[in-house]
Amino acid sequence: MATSSTSESTLARLLPEDVDTEQALVHGGLIVSIFLMGLPLLLALIMSTQTTTEVYEVTNVGIGSQGLSNYGTVLGEYNFGQYMINSVVMSIIIVVGKVTLSLFAALALVYYRFPYERAVFMFILLTLLLPVPVRIVPLFDLMARLGWGNTLMAITGPYIASATAVFLFRQHFMAIPASLVENAHLDGVGPLTFLWKVLIPMSKGMIAGVSVITFIYAWNQYLWPLIIMSDQNKQVVQVGLRFLQAASQSGLTRWGIIMAGAVIALLPPLAVLIVLHKPLLETLAIQQK
Amino acid sequence: MPEFTKPYESRWQAFLLLLPTFAVLIAFLYYPGIETFRLSLQQTILLGTRKTFVGIENYITLATSSTYHWSFAISVAFAAVVVIGTLAASLFVAYLLFQVDVGSSTYLIAAIWPYALPTAVAASVLLFLLHPSLGILTFVLESLTGTSLEWFTNGPQAFAIVALVAIWKQLGYNIIFMVAALNNIPETLTESAKLDGVGHLKMLYRVYVPLMSPTLVFLVVMNTIYAFFQTFPLVDLMTSGGPNEATNLLIFKLYRDAFEFSNLGLASAESVVLFAVVAILMYVQLRLSESYTTYA
Repeated sequence: MATSSTSESTLARLLPEDVDTEQALVHGGLIVSIFLMGLPLLLALIMSTQTTTEVYEVTNVGIGSQGLSNYGTVLGEYNFGQYMINSVVMSIIIVVGKVTLSLFAALALVYYRFPYERAVFMFILLTLLLPVPVRIVPLFDLMARLGWGNTLMAITGPYIASATAVFLFRQHFMAIPASLVENAHLDGVGPLTFLWKVLIPMSKGMIAGVSVITFIYAWNQYLWPLIIMSDQNKQVVQVGLRFLQAASQSGLTRWGIIMAGAVIALLPPLAVLIVLHKPLLETLAIQQK
Repeated sequence: MPEFTKPYESRWQAFLLLLPTFAVLIAFLYYPGIETFRLSLQQTILLGTRKTFVGIENYITLATSSTYHWSFAISVAFAAVVVIGTLAASLFVAYLLFQVDVGSSTYLIAAIWPYALPTAVAASVLLFLLHPSLGILTFVLESLTGTSLEWFTNGPQAFAIVALVAIWKQLGYNIIFMVAALNNIPETLTESAKLDGVGHLKMLYRVYVPLMSPTLVFLVVMNTIYAFFQTFPLVDLMTSGGPNEATNLLIFKLYRDAFEFSNLGLASAESVVLFAVVAILMYVQLRLSESYTTYA
């Protein structure tokens, strides 16, 4: 990519100083880059319609004769329908749980006077130092002792509280005009009513943004479900991709089926990103600060 | 903070509101986190049924193990390749996005979508498309370069392929932050530089990159954490750590030591090392972002 950037700017210098030429080059560069980024998916889509024999003809990049039937096969025969449901349920529980818990925590941090406020906030923020791999062995052990192996609690519980979400809601609440808070207080509005009637309506964008980030993050989980869910029927779709590969290791690998599975596993987070890209971008902009 | 911004006084209410978050953080983050340190000083015997205190023996094992040294070295190299590759490619696309006049929101979505790409999906798709004998991309690459792609048996090639997939998956995330940073740069600056006849590349390196440095520091840290922790599915699905340990990254080795070889004490010591890596990175980010605040 670096080489094409140099050749492009040389081109730009050779051509007359014309805004339109420049823009044409920018558009051209963008279209080429975006095409290259999307190419693997485009090819995966095409291959997902091919039979195993067609896949094994390496240079065959036409739409295959299977049509969409590989999708039906992977969803039914290979249990991907069940994995998809499991992933959706897991992700929704994590999103709803995290947003609710973080709204409560942020409400307390911003609108309550209590001792050691700073320390409490630091206690939450410091958990950023403890991603799953840092605590994976004892966490596994704990789940086993709680009898939570193979349960939804095990794959959602560790994720439903987070420093990032609390931090984002706290930032947002602090930006809400003091006069509004004062009015609410004078009117004798209780904290939960204040949260429900004032804070949540004023934080819709932020809540949507946190939900998208959380959904995509939850959907991407692989290592933890792989370890804690030994019952194949309860597994999530990302780990389901591993079963697809393992299932076809004897004999010819059914790559058309695997590509169909990969495309299906990408669709939900991609749809969420496309629909909610605006609040997502605004929220990420704040996360960086 | 003036008094009216904190309208509620009740301590027990505040406590109740914080309780669910605290319960989850203590039970599933702090407790296991601290347990990791304790376990790292123990040795498990008889398939985990008995544990004995061995002090820093596990750390000594790690410090003297050549396979661990290897894993550590390739993880650092892997992170370096992924960070540099991702930043360079994303900067190129983000800079183009920044300069485009029409259709920018369509382009933006088309460029940031890999943010939603699950790592396991990226791994499955490219495992096939770059398959040494079946991959269409392998076919194209081999006919373009005249070399043969044998990454199922060739270590350095496997390392490069896994890094390439890791970079691809991380592009969207980086482009989002870079576009945001570029859009924050005052337009007058761009205009005056243009009047001075500064070329595009020079403009990027002399003007934009320095002004984007807080974002770039943030991205270096986030990409490094990603390269260390979130690339497990790539190794697991594409190479299983091979060939010849060429892709046996720390996170994959940790998983194997813990859940395949049941060496829980040793795996915990490896977790503690990873904790040190995150801690150092977070510290670097905090210090650097403080020193850059003049730009923000």
